[in-house]
Amino acid sequence: MRFQTEYDVIVLGAGPAGSAFSKVAARGGMQVLMLDKKKEIGSPVRCGEGIAEHSEADLGIMVLPQAVASRIDGARVFSPNGKTLCLKNEGTKGYVLERKLFDKHLAIDAARAGAHVLPHSLAKGLLVTNENKPCGVKVLHMGEEIEFRAPLIVSAEGMEAKLAREAGFDVKAALYDVDTCFEYEMAGVPCEPFIDLYFSNRLAPRGYVWVFPKGKDVANVGIGIGGSVGGNPKQLLDQFIAEHPELFKRSQPVEFKGGIISVGAPINEFVKDNFMVIGTAAHQVDPIHGGGIGLAIEAGNIAAEVALNAFESGGDYSKARLLPYEEAWTKKSGSKLAKRLTLRKVLEKLNDDDWNHIVGSINEEDLQKVMEGQFKSVVAKIVLTRPTLFKLLSALV
Amino acid sequence: MVEKFKVDISKCIYCAGCVSVCPTAALTLNETRVYCDEGKCVACGVCEKACPVNAIRINKGGK
Ligand SMILES: Cc1cc2nc3c(=O)[nH]c(=O)nc-3n(C[C@H](O)[C@H](O)[C@H](O)COP(=O)(O)OP(=O)(O)OC[C@H]3O[C@@H](n4cnc5c(N)ncnc54)[C@H](O)[C@@H]3O)c2cc1C
Ligand code: SF4
Ligand code: SF4
Repeated sequence: MRFQTEYDVIVLGAGPAGSAFSKVAARGGMQVLMLDKKKEIGSPVRCGEGIAEHSEADLGIMVLPQAVASRIDGARVFSPNGKTLCLKNEGTKGYVLERKLFDKHLAIDAARAGAHVLPHSLAKGLLVTNENKPCGVKVLHMGEEIEFRAPLIVSAEGMEAKLAREAGFDVKAALYDVDTCFEYEMAGVPCEPFIDLYFSNRLAPRGYVWVFPKGKDVANVGIGIGGSVGGNPKQLLDQFIAEHPELFKRSQPVEFKGGIISVGAPINEFVKDNFMVIGTAAHQVDPIHGGGIGLAIEAGNIAAEVALNAFESGGDYSKARLLPYEEAWTKKSGSKLAKRLTLRKVLEKLNDDDWNHIVGSINEEDLQKVMEGQFKSVVAKIVLTRPTLFKLLSALV
Repeated sequence: MVEKFKVDISKCIYCAGCVSVCPTAALTLNETRVYCDEGKCVACGVCEKACPVNAIRINKGGK
């Protein structure tokens, strides 16, 4: 097979971020190559597969009906002693996806827009000019090493982000700022249309256990724990399952999944000359729940518009020309995520007794406020009945 | 030479967690296999901690 080797932009990774970028850039007239080392885009899955319904409108995407495993009305939070808070309103509607289909469909959309897509292609290294500016990638594809060239390289590599690292971005994940996760997809779990989150320091130190329904009796059952706490996620999840026979006594795993996800701050810069980093590669992930699908698509869309502008005005991809992406992203999602990082750092200090107290003393409205970043009145309410939490929670007000 | 990085492929779920946290970018995941560039590995053990299924053994003496 002979390949076109010169492009306007090379996109590394065909996850949600890469496909979103490629679609917008190709539609705008850029010659786009999107490659992924996986032979099958979307597989294996490393995800709980939950996404908010409003993401469709927000991100300008249509979730393929076949890629929706189930529809969700809201979320329930369980304290260690089993108390529950339930959030259910227009904003909490969502889907649990079949990401194998969802991701592949996004890549198909990018191809329809004119992007060239090349699976089973590992980007091994960066090509640079004499001035040390990125100008292409070395790719291993079906036993052949191919050099693809383009004046703009986009890393949508997810957590691995090896080429972004080679380009000089500080993308290495620190253990303290990741959750390590293990997940089963299980059959035989009684499901209701809620995503369920179980908090417990004993069973999920600095993280949580999730049960996300994928149908009437199939669910993603996963655990994420703080990367620096040094526990064994699989063992802890097995223990959780053993302690909840009401959910799992008839269940069987049908798939093993897992991975690590950033729950820290985004990386300190998203662009350099001739290089952009988008999505989870840039640690654009919600620090509370580790959700990153929507944020990845959002970053792909914003970055592609900026790249298109640079393309249309003559192909100057210097850092200054690419910076509007960083600025627009920070304005849109940066401060929201920063607030949630503060919240994460407070929540991780709570013990199980504190959790029981908090879930027992606030109501659904309070939880909604917390999710929206309005902490003040909720903190006041909690501290009223447990003044000892004041010092810890005061970081939020 | 004793290898510093060893992965039990019967445990590994090829999630790439180890790749993301390695401070020296010594690891690469391609499809289902994790490869270690032994020349880059400094036997720090960070990957061992990050692996969600305890599939990695680091031989500190291999330095
Ligand atoms: C256990 C777990 C549960 C999660 N649950 C949720 C959830 O419920 N909801 C949610 O919104 N988010 C969730 N996330 C996060 C979500 O999976 C990611 O944020 C999302 O996939 C990011 O999309 P992306 O396009 O940035 O990167 P990815 O989807 O990771 O895609 C990156 C792609 O780049 C490819 N690639 C990397 N390096 C190279 C290379 N050198 N050459 C070629 N290709 C390369 C990879 O093969 C991959 O296909 C979860 C994550 C984990 C680990
Ligand atoms: S031991 Fe340290 S340097 Fe070696 S592969 Fe693991 S994380 Fe990388
Ligand atoms: S972190 Fe563990 S399970 Fe994941 S790829 Fe590395 S060795 Fe395999």
